[in-house]
Parts: sequence; structure tokens; C-alpha cells
Amino acid sequence: MKKVWSVVLSLAAVLAFFLGIWLIGRIINPSLNLDQTALLRFVFVGVGLLIVFVVYLLTKNSKMWEVGTRQVVYMAIGAALYAILSYLFNGTVFVVPSVSQVALRPAIAIPMFFGYAFGPVVGFFTGAVGNMFGDALTGFGLSPQWSIGNGLVGFVAGLAWLFTDKKKSLNVVLIVSAVLAALATVLYLVNPNTANGVFFDAANNIFGDAKISLGAGLSLVVGFVIVLLVRFIFHKNIDVAAAVTWAMLGNILGIGFAAVSDIWINGYSPVVALVGEFIPSAGPNLIFAAILVPLLVGAYASIQKQTGR
Amino acid sequence: MLVAWRYRKRDSLLQSFDPRAWIIFFLCFLGSTLCFWDFRYLLLFFGIALLSVFTSGIRWNEMARAWIFIMGFILFFSLLTFLTGRGGMELYGSEHSLAKLTATFTIFGWRPVLNISAEKTMYALSMLIRVFSIASMTILIPYSLNPAHYGITFRGLGLPDKIAYGMDLTMRFIPTFGRDFSLTMDAQKARGYEIEKLDGGLFAQVKKLAPLIIPVTIHAIAGSEDIIDAMDLRAFGVGPRTWLETLTYRKRDRVLIAVGVVLFLFSLALSLLGYGKFWVPAFMIP
Repeated sequence: MKKVWSVVLSLAAVLAFFLGIWLIGRIINPSLNLDQTALLRFVFVGVGLLIVFVVYLLTKNSKMWEVGTRQVVYMAIGAALYAILSYLFNGTVFVVPSVSQVALRPAIAIPMFFGYAFGPVVGFFTGAVGNMFGDALTGFGLSPQWSIGNGLVGFVAGLAWLFTDKKKSLNVVLIVSAVLAALATVLYLVNPNTANGVFFDAANNIFGDAKISLGAGLSLVVGFVIVLLVRFIFHKNIDVAAAVTWAMLGNILGIGFAAVSDIWINGYSPVVALVGEFIPSAGPNLIFAAILVPLLVGAYASIQKQTGR
Repeated sequence: MLVAWRYRKRDSLLQSFDPRAWIIFFLCFLGSTLCFWDFRYLLLFFGIALLSVFTSGIRWNEMARAWIFIMGFILFFSLLTFLTGRGGMELYGSEHSLAKLTATFTIFGWRPVLNISAEKTMYALSMLIRVFSIASMTILIPYSLNPAHYGITFRGLGLPDKIAYGMDLTMRFIPTFGRDFSLTMDAQKARGYEIEKLDGGLFAQVKKLAPLIIPVTIHAIAGSEDIIDAMDLRAFGVGPRTWLETLTYRKRDRVLIAVGVVLFLFSLALSLLGYGKFWVPAFMIP
């Protein structure tokens, strides 16, 4: 209980500080317009952490919150792997000719897999810390709210541990993801001329200026269809089906969180954030997830049989 | 086998501070730099970064590779922003053109036009020193922080034992996995695997990358079993963790932390009040 109090108190102190600045500022300069971008990033970091905290409070007694030696080592490995793979595929080492605007980010399979295989704490650490170190290695600067978003990808993927009967939860998760994916795609179809915010067109040296291509716009639907296929083809192998489905939900919610936060941080309109940022990031991620995660799950299962653990 | 970061003990300004103090200062520095776009304010942070780099005592040829890489990256992006000015659109409303260079040739019927404006130049310059400040401070960390101190640094910053140790392990694993990755790539190449051309549709790309990513991941997980055993044998997690070294704060560390926090809060306040936004010097506007 003491810990909860100290967290609440420190949050209140930060809030008080900024209220103070705002009030004092208004006295000095009556026509004050707060420029909040730098501040908002950290606010969203707080929001993301709050989400994790709330889920923790609600599910405190579940086994998935145990952090023992295994979890510590796995989270370190996951974060290091994610960092290295993001760094390698961020366009620095492998120069990626972007075909139809989809960015190559296979590394996203790592938080999804680690979250599913080892639990939400490992998933969150892998995504968040891995993303931080990956950005630091690329040398271009840290983006706190995207780190939290990536952490949430792994976190939600790990929530699969909450349900002892994996099969029952699968259909619920599938339906929820289907609804979210459909909503986003409908938004795209209604606004097909939105600029693709994460697309860097090396040929034309334009960042975020190209209209989102049909391939990128529909990537979310394509990914969803593949996930559905994998789920039914592997319906006998419950692990693969569950991993893929939860990974999809994690991807949608985590990347969705980061994209939505940009509505306030970068001043995008909701349409631009969702169609210009969310779809071109989440869609290709989903396609990668649908293919790489089952492979990882299968390989891990055979390792488990070999080593007997 | 572990591959290590290139740390060595040196008599430098950076290392005379407690690593925790330096990390706190670094984070405040990062936060403060991110608050501003004004060239004049950014010069202050640039100065601090340069000071740290030059007093770090690290010889050039030790850091050369990392620097050349980062500098190339920064210059490339600055040039790009300069030529297109896209990223800065939200920062300035109108442009004052300084010069307009039209190429004498055409590429497929499109004539390249270089529109040099005062705004674009200032934007490119501001971005250059902003990114340089952040990148240089970030590069210094693996070279100046003793890897043996990672865990205790994070613990001293108030993180719980296991998370601190997790971050320690993460930093130790990064060079090792980098090396594993190139090993795997070589091994696959010996089997006729081609990675140079990453074209083809999305599915072809995924198919090409799977033989790289899957082995590295599974190898890492399999290798982790030894580490888990070693930690368990040393009773990890049974009680509060102790470290061989202890870090103590000295007066200069407290001063550094205070300076860092004050700088950060001040920058945040200034940026909230609307100062430090994008600025173009008057003499540049025709």
C-alpha cells in the first residue's frame, strides 16, 4: 500500500509543479499559449505505465506476475535481441528499398514472442527497453512514447497467460482484434488521400509526404487475414494459434497507443494519426507477426523438447 | 562468450563523477535539449556536449568507427532536411528565399530545383547541432561507464533489484548478440543464403529474413539456460541483492545532479512559457 501512495504522491507533485508554471506564466504573460510537446511525451509515458499498473492491480494474484531468475534473464535477452534487430533493420545497416511503402520491421516479432512465451513482465521489458536501446544505438534519439507503445505490444501478448484455458479466450481476442482492424481500415477507405507519416521515400527524399498507398492502407486487413489463416490451419497446435492471436491484439493495442498519443504530441488530427501512422506501422507488423511468431513458437517448442525444460 | 563494450578506465571529467550522477545528468540533458528548437539555446547544450567529448580522454581511433557512422548519419539527414525542408514545415509559417539554384540538367524530364531559404538553412543547422549534442552524449556512455557498475548504477537510481539486474544483463548482451548475428549470417551465407538484395514483395522479404532471425533468437534462449543456472546457484532473488562495489555520492556528484535537475526544470518551464521556439536570425532575412 505504501508503494501505491508514494507513486500517487509523486504524480501529484509533478502535476502541481506544472500547474504552478502555468498559473505563474499567465500572470506574467496574459496571452500565454502553452507549448506542450516535450511535456506531453512524458505524460503519455505516464499514461502507458498507468495502464500496466491498473492491469497489475486487477490481476495481482495471477501467476503471470512472478519475476524470478528465469524472467530476469529472459527479459534481458529479449531486450538485447530487440535492440540489435531494430538497429540492424532501421535502415542503417540493411538499406531497405521500400516496396509499396511498407517498412521492414521484422524485429517486432521479438516482443510478441517473448511476451507470449514468458509472460507480460518480460514482454513489456523487452519491448520498452529494447526499443530504447535500439533507438540509442541508431544514434538518432529516443522517443519515449513509442518505447512504451512497444512495451505494451509485448505486455498485451503476455496477457495470454491470464487465461488457463487458451482455446476459449482465442475467439474473444480474435473478435476484438477484428473489430479494431476493421474500424481502422474503414477510416482509411474513407480517407484514402492521407499522407503516410512513417514512410520515408528515399528515391524522392520525402518524409511523410507521399499519399498512403493501397498496399500500405490495406496491410492491416491483409495481416488480419493471414493471422486468421494461421489460426485455423494450426487449430490443433493451440500454442501457435494462441501466440499469433494474442500477438495481433498486442500489436494493435501497443502501436495504437503510440499512434494515438501523437494526436496530442504532434498535433495530428485523429485521422492522420490513425491512417497515416497507425496503419502503415501496425499493418506490416502484423504480417511479420503472423509469419515469424509461429516459426519462433515452433522452434522454441522443439528446443523445449530437446533440453527437457 | 561475451563480447564487451569498449570501456577503459580513464582520468576524465566524465569518469570523475559517480555513474548514477552522470546518468541522471544525461537524462536531464536529453530532456532539456528536446525542449528547444532555438539555435541560440541549443548552442548551450552543444557546448556542454563538446566539453564532455573533449575531456573524455578517449582517443580518436578508439571511437572512430562509432563517430564516423553517427556523423555520416547526422550529416545525411541534415542535408536531406536542408534540401527538402519537409520536417520543419510545422515550425515556420513562411519562407524567405535566399537563393534558388536551378540545375542545368533534367532527370527524366524533371528539373531539380534547389530552393535555399533562410528558414531551411536555420532548420538544418538547428537540427544538426541538436542531434549532434544528443548523439555525442549518448556515444560517450558505453565508453565511460564501467560495465561492472551497470547493475549497481541502476539499483542506485532506485530501480528494484531485479529490474536493475535485467538492465545490466541487457547491456552486456547487446554486443554479444551483435556478434552472434554476424556469425549466423556468415553461416547461412556458406549455405547459399543471399541477403544483399532485399527486394521482392513483402512475403519474399519475410521469407528471406526468417533464416536470420529465428536461429539467433533460439540460440540466445538456449544459451540462457546456463546463465539462469549460474544465477540460481548464486541464490539470485532469494534476498536483497548486494554488489561487490559500493557507489557513494561525493559533493561534486550532488552538485552535478542539482545542476542537471535545475537545468531540466528550467528548460521545461521556458518551453512551456513559449520561449526557445524556432528562430531565424534577422540578418538572414532579405
